[in-house]
Amino acid sequence: MKFIRPNDMEGLFQNIEENNDRKYFLAGGTDINIQIKNGTIKDAEIIYIKHLKELNGIQIEKDDIVIGATTNISDILNSKIIKENLPFFQRSLESFASPLLQTSATIGGNIANGSPTADVVPLLLVLDAKLEIVSKSQIRIIELTNFFTGYKTNIMKANELIRSIIIPKKAENGFDTFFEKVGSRKSLMISKISLAGLKNISHNKFTTIKLAAGSLNEYPRRLYKIEEYLTDKSLLEIDFLKVEELLNEEITPITDLRSDKEYRYHVCVNLIRTFLNE
Amino acid sequence: MKISFKLNNKNVTIDTDPMRRLLDIIREDFHLTGTKEGCGEGECGACTVLLDGKPVTSCLVNAVHIDGKEVMTSEGIAQEPLGKLLIDCFDETNAVQCGFCFPGFLVTSYHYVKTDGEKNLDKIKKALSGNICRCTGYQKIFESVMMACERN
Repeated sequence: MKFIRPNDMEGLFQNIEENNDRKYFLAGGTDINIQIKNGTIKDAEIIYIKHLKELNGIQIEKDDIVIGATTNISDILNSKIIKENLPFFQRSLESFASPLLQTSATIGGNIANGSPTADVVPLLLVLDAKLEIVSKSQIRIIELTNFFTGYKTNIMKANELIRSIIIPKKAENGFDTFFEKVGSRKSLMISKISLAGLKNISHNKFTTIKLAAGSLNEYPRRLYKIEEYLTDKSLLEIDFLKVEELLNEEITPITDLRSDKEYRYHVCVNLIRTFLNE
Repeated sequence: MKISFKLNNKNVTIDTDPMRRLLDIIREDFHLTGTKEGCGEGECGACTVLLDGKPVTSCLVNAVHIDGKEVMTSEGIAQEPLGKLLIDCFDETNAVQCGFCFPGFLVTSYHYVKTDGEKNLDKIKKALSGNICRCTGYQKIFESVMMACERN
């Protein structure tokens, strides 16, 4: 294993431009250290980035909240900016792993690691978050919903990394919010299912619905077909058999050591019902 | 790689693999064996130490992370007045059973009483939720921390 600690962003870019070896960025280390220990990551280059100030911190930039990729979950939980603008996001992160891991784990790491169970991703999806992806010569802003391409894969090139997560300042404004993680315990829970939702209602009809599910596909996803079906309907007009049918098209739950696929499917249906009824 | 940091209020420098676990540095290089390895995956909290005053699982922290920082282990905390108070409270309630998880609980409890300190059972439960006691002596551990909040 080769180890690199670039002195600055320039050094970082120089390294990732010139070097085609398989590489991993080390920030918090809560996922990567386990993958090194169990042998999933070996003979790779590890590039340390936690000390680079350009990748860290929470700022307001015009109409957006910009969170640096290596910002710790505990910093988001303690942030006044997040409390004032995105209280639902902040509250929901309290269920992230455990207080001990919240101090080490980073928001960018949780996204880049690409786990189907990543706690922050369903929340960021309903908040219409974007990612700022940078390389030596280019900055591109992409919607989080277009970032993942499959199990632990994404659209980033070998010379790119996530610099920040961009959330519209008003992403939660005027919405009823919902976030539920289902698992076997409260702390350190790797979710069997997680569902995040935003809705607003006018004249008994759902005018906007945003739904995202975790642990139900190879990566967390927005449930666009269900959103489309539910929009402009009242609760009485919704045919839940149709919702179940659409859900079948949207999610591909698997059976693994934490749960089986039938359970995941039924609980997801129930969570959508709860979300709409609340 | 040369790593300089403060360990229990003393400045130290080591030359080590930057990816080496903080847990191993503490136990092997400094013979501070209060910090325990339980799961080695950040789920049990037996290896908890304070890094710049915040509790972390030292099995997932690398040498490179601690350069220029302050590390406080259960041994260091046991020398502090608040650490002594907490140990007295754990002692009075007979909270310690096999003792393996105890250094981790001491570190996390110390952080809670020092930074928040409210005698509030729900908050204490939440603060300690990353530490696991397989003797399941949680009730007495919570009582001890409540007691420490009152006396501090």
